[in-house]
Amino acid sequence: MSRPEFYPLDNISAASGNSEHDPTEASRQQLPEDGNPFSFSPQIVRLHREHDMFEDGDIHRHLYLQDLYTSEAEDRTTLSVSEFPCHISGCSALFSSLGEYEHHYNSLHRNVCSSCRRCLPSARLLDIHIQEWHDSLFAVLAQKQDMYLCLVEGCGQKFRTEKQRKDHLIRIHKYPPDFRFDKLKKERGNKGGRGQEQKVKVIEAVNDVCESEGVCEVLCNPMSDQPEEEESMEICEKEAPLMEDMPSPVQDSEVNALPLKPQYSSRLVLF
Amino acid sequence: MWRLNKIHHKSRWHQHNIDELRLRRREQERALRQARRDRQLVSKRLLLYEEEEQTGVTMETASGEQDVVSLLLKLQRGGTEKEIHLKALSKVLRESSAQLSFIKQENSMHLLVGLLTGSDAQCRLLAVRCLHELSYSPNTSVASACMAATPYLLTFLSGPTTKFTETCLYTLGNLCPVSEAVKEKLLAQGIIPALASCMENQRHNLAVVEAIGFTLSQLLQATGAIQKIISMVMCSSLPTYLVSFLTPDSEFGLGAAIECAWCLHYLVCSSEDHQELLARGALLHCSAELVSLSGAVTQGHKEDGMELLVCPLLRIVGNLLPSCLVEDLDKNTVFTLLVDALCVFLQAYLSSSPSLARETAWVLNNLTAHSTECCSAVVTLNLVSPLIQLLPVSHGINTMVLRILANIVSKKKELCVQLVQLGLLSALCSTLKMADQEMVTLSLDVLYMLLLTSPQVKEEFLREGGASILEIIQYNDEGEIRRKASYLVDQLLLTQQQHTV
Repeated sequence: MSRPEFYPLDNISAASGNSEHDPTEASRQQLPEDGNPFSFSPQIVRLHREHDMFEDGDIHRHLYLQDLYTSEAEDRTTLSVSEFPCHISGCSALFSSLGEYEHHYNSLHRNVCSSCRRCLPSARLLDIHIQEWHDSLFAVLAQKQDMYLCLVEGCGQKFRTEKQRKDHLIRIHKYPPDFRFDKLKKERGNKGGRGQEQKVKVIEAVNDVCESEGVCEVLCNPMSDQPEEEESMEICEKEAPLMEDMPSPVQDSEVNALPLKPQYSSRLVLF
Repeated sequence: MWRLNKIHHKSRWHQHNIDELRLRRREQERALRQARRDRQLVSKRLLLYEEEEQTGVTMETASGEQDVVSLLLKLQRGGTEKEIHLKALSKVLRESSAQLSFIKQENSMHLLVGLLTGSDAQCRLLAVRCLHELSYSPNTSVASACMAATPYLLTFLSGPTTKFTETCLYTLGNLCPVSEAVKEKLLAQGIIPALASCMENQRHNLAVVEAIGFTLSQLLQATGAIQKIISMVMCSSLPTYLVSFLTPDSEFGLGAAIECAWCLHYLVCSSEDHQELLARGALLHCSAELVSLSGAVTQGHKEDGMELLVCPLLRIVGNLLPSCLVEDLDKNTVFTLLVDALCVFLQAYLSSSPSLARETAWVLNNLTAHSTECCSAVVTLNLVSPLIQLLPVSHGINTMVLRILANIVSKKKELCVQLVQLGLLSALCSTLKMADQEMVTLSLDVLYMLLLTSPQVKEEFLREGGASILEIIQYNDEGEIRRKASYLVDQLLLTQQQHTV
């Protein structure tokens, strides 16, 4: 559907009585000296005969002349609503309500690990993830004690190895046996050191996403198999709480006219 | 003759099955849309016989060609049975093959014209009936053949008879769009003065008024020589009459009003100088009529087919507003009533006819952009909340509604606090997140204006999580949007820092 074209009249200021804003300026789109980009002023719109906005009415008029008009609504198009996009770059999801969008965002884009940019479904799992993947102390302790916490909230059991935990999850908590538990912990890069790219190989999952609560991660991972170190993207960790965490990679070396968008792609993570 | 007391499906299409009718309508709609794209949007009207009118059943047409020839022979012989033969001929001529055969016969049109202008009144009526069938033909050569009769048809327009005049009018109306040459000839033959005098003589008969309106609308829809046609029409008494027939009649119905409204719409949107029409009260009458129709909607008396009248009235008002002085708007209370009427239409047509709702919103934008009084009226008539609730609706409706709200914010700054209380700021927090870039831009514009009004608005916005919304918008694809968001972020941050100091 095309948008109405606006035809500001040359002498509109005489007709509108709106002395504050000169409507003709709006069409020029110039930035005033102080850099203020705002220039809204009420616009009176004239529509010429062939305008798109008049199409439906014209058609109905002619259907009427041809004795085909009906005021029944059955032929009418259903009302459509404006959509809300997910603002995460690379995520092209669209939603017809704000509620749906927020649910999507909370489910897939919140709780992002600031070290490896992975997205976890909940704050708790994020904590576990950080602890197990990015905490060197954990690795040390895990050699001597049971450190791998059961992922199901309230269970509280700990295990010496990831495999034991996985077995526990399948046996006790009835996770599906064909759940993809492949984790390549050994291929994880060095931990620690903020700003270091974690070069973790992520096996791209098939489309059958496991819907088990909490275990399935959707990865929002910028690096995977691309050597992005060359771009020297320093991921700044924000002090702000995670929900405000809209990563804005700032480049020291390059001067960009625009802030770089965080690169995200959706891949299924293995646990 | 053809009436529109109630719109119903004409069984002329030989389709008693409702699904077939729907299919036919959809096909025709597609064809019409393409025709509009090609600037070839024309329609003709066919009058039904009285018996068809009454029984609702279309008569069956006899097979064509042979009958034409034999009927013509019989008619040439003359005699007392002319009427019977003419009636038979008019029925036969509904078939395209018969029509082609007719025009191929030597002197056929000459014969018909003779009967048209003869002394037998019933024969005249039947002869014009034949011409009418021919005029309805989509075949240019068939329709053009009728040109031999048009000088007479035009003369008859100033006569007193109504049935006959109606048929003449619809015949002429069908001929207008046939070709440029035909139209030029009709203009030269004085069709416009003839229509004007017909209107003067027969204005008490709404069926004739409807027919005049139809014929005039056919002329005004022409693209070629439109300025010439318009100036001829404006010189006549027609515009005054058109303006006076905009109210539906309780008995006759909407038909005449619809035609007159469409004529006015074509007059308005094809020209830039509207002073004449304004002087004849076009804007006032149309606005008053819209107010009256909205009253019917509110009371639940929405007539079938009312959209066919509301649509051209809206367009007339929308396009006349730019030419009207704001002082004239403000001193007449009908326009504040119109504000209410437009909101009634918005609600009423939102789901059944979104494009009409969009046109309604357009008119309201023009009203509020033009008149500060109308901006106030939106608030005092408690129309802000209903408007805010329309902000999720696309089809171009929400952008127009947001413009309306922006107009009010811009022109009535003192009402901004009230608007915020009514939920405008919360609504913006949603619209700022929409995919529609125009909505985002307008939302930023409105937000900016609201933020300028008071620090409380700023605080309220921050409380609703506005800062993070703006930060996200700074990554928008469009540069203008990013600039605006950044500007607001800087403004807000500045204030925040000032608070902490």
